[in-house]
Amino acid sequence: MVTGFLGPNGAGKTTTLRMLLGLVAPTSGGALVNGVAYHDLPDPTRAVGGVLEASGFHPAGTARNHLRVVATVSGIDYGRVDEVLELVGLGSDRDRKVGGFSLGMRQRLELARALLGDPQVLILDEPANGLDPQGIAWMRGFLRWYATQGRVVLVSSHLLAEAAQTVDRVIILAGGRLVADGRLDELLQGATTTVRVRTPDAARLVRVLEQAAATGSVEHAPTSVRLEDADVVVAEGTTPEVVGPLIAREAIVVYEMTSSGESLEQLFFELTEGVDRGGRPMGQPPAPNAPFPGGPDEGVASTP
Amino acid sequence: MRRQVHAELKKFRTIWSTWLILGITAFLVGALTSVIAFAPHGRGRRAVLFPAQGTARWFDSIFSTLSISLTLALVLGILCMTGEYRHKTITPTYLAEPRRGRVVISKLLASGVGGAAVAVAGGAVALVFGFGVVGGGIGTVGRMLTEYRHVFPGVLVAAILYALYGVGLGALLKNQVVAIIVGLGVTVIVEPILVGVVPSVGRWLPGQLADALQSVTASANGIGSGSTNLVTWWEGGLGLLGYGIVLAAAGALTTLRTDVT
Repeated sequence: MVTGFLGPNGAGKTTTLRMLLGLVAPTSGGALVNGVAYHDLPDPTRAVGGVLEASGFHPAGTARNHLRVVATVSGIDYGRVDEVLELVGLGSDRDRKVGGFSLGMRQRLELARALLGDPQVLILDEPANGLDPQGIAWMRGFLRWYATQGRVVLVSSHLLAEAAQTVDRVIILAGGRLVADGRLDELLQGATTTVRVRTPDAARLVRVLEQAAATGSVEHAPTSVRLEDADVVVAEGTTPEVVGPLIAREAIVVYEMTSSGESLEQLFFELTEGVDRGGRPMGQPPAPNAPFPGGPDEGVASTP
Repeated sequence: MRRQVHAELKKFRTIWSTWLILGITAFLVGALTSVIAFAPHGRGRRAVLFPAQGTARWFDSIFSTLSISLTLALVLGILCMTGEYRHKTITPTYLAEPRRGRVVISKLLASGVGGAAVAVAGGAVALVFGFGVVGGGIGTVGRMLTEYRHVFPGVLVAAILYALYGVGLGALLKNQVVAIIVGLGVTVIVEPILVGVVPSVGRWLPGQLADALQSVTASANGIGSGSTNLVTWWEGGLGLLGYGIVLAAAGALTTLRTDVT
């Protein structure tokens, strides 16, 4: 099972993960892995692998040496070092100095370090950062594969489209609080959708839908109905399973019916609204044709 | 614990700054012994620093340059602790061993080995130099080795304890630059002032403790600062060990407990 740990910037994702890994002490309460605090785990590297941002490497050390030091502490043999380097695709770079590594290569090396102990639980903080598109796809495949091995994967991300493709379960954090926790498909299932119908009889369909909403004769009746075009009706807050039978009952001719399900992104925005960015709203983006602030059009007196 | 110490020693071996420190030690000992050995020997007060060639005091004077190892052992200990924070390798270190006190203890033990290596690097150069001058017809092997035995064991033990002191400073201060400035500042500025102004306190500062420790083997000719206001050699050793352990414990209980972000 891959669990996505999502939230806007400053929601507390990294801090929470670092608490789980014993790097940050909670002000109150505790963070347990398998019911045990990280520093009480008898063999932490084998139980939990942590992939963290801002985890460091001695720039003058080689990738292999960096992992060998960690392997020595955990009593892991050096064969495993070459194995994990191969696994993350750094096999041919293992004797290069880490100082010359790209961000993506460091991220892979960090993953290799976390995998040294073949841990049951893998905790990753923004693992896609710095990876190229192939790297991101590889990481997605890797996390899915790791989860199918009967392991637990907890991954934080702010890339929602990427997370939607990777995770089974989501935990959403906003302003330091839990706002959602559940299977992704279930969270999205209860959500409303927008149904668009193209019909030559648009005005009648609008009446039928409005009537259904007003009388409450059907469940999940639309919350709003509008005419988007002369022949396009848009009903929000309902499902095709509600609209379809109504159309059939009224024998309305339909050319096309589509529904757009709610995405993880919409769900995320709904849940984190107001607490977004720790309560600090983002500024409005400038209008498309507005001059660039401080650009040549501004503050420079134009001579006729 | 064995594994942690092994890992720390492996870090020492793979980090270039360790080899730089050993190289600087060897270079400084080589340069200083040459200067002291071949400076024109003086009369009166100058004779103390530059005695006549081939005499026991001359050899003592040459080998007293080994004290430079202490400063470099101190830097090695400081880098051992603060380098982890500087390069953020402290995160993987704590992930592999979340009990931070154990990390500090393994660093103390490994740095002791590192400090010994620094003393040996300087000692080897001094010994080669000694044989060189004897081969060149100055003094005798017996006299040279006797004076070497007066100086080297004290330097070796003091360098080990200085490295521990460095780890302690690093654990308490965490910041590499600050720790080095404080470590060297105490040796170069604070200590000479305190020794002069408040001798009863000054004699308990690291450099004076190291002098006291070394005095157990040093000949009656006297090396080092030549201070007569030293504690006994074992008080010196225990005091120096105390600096390392107390500072490291204080660091483990305060600065090292803070969040790693």
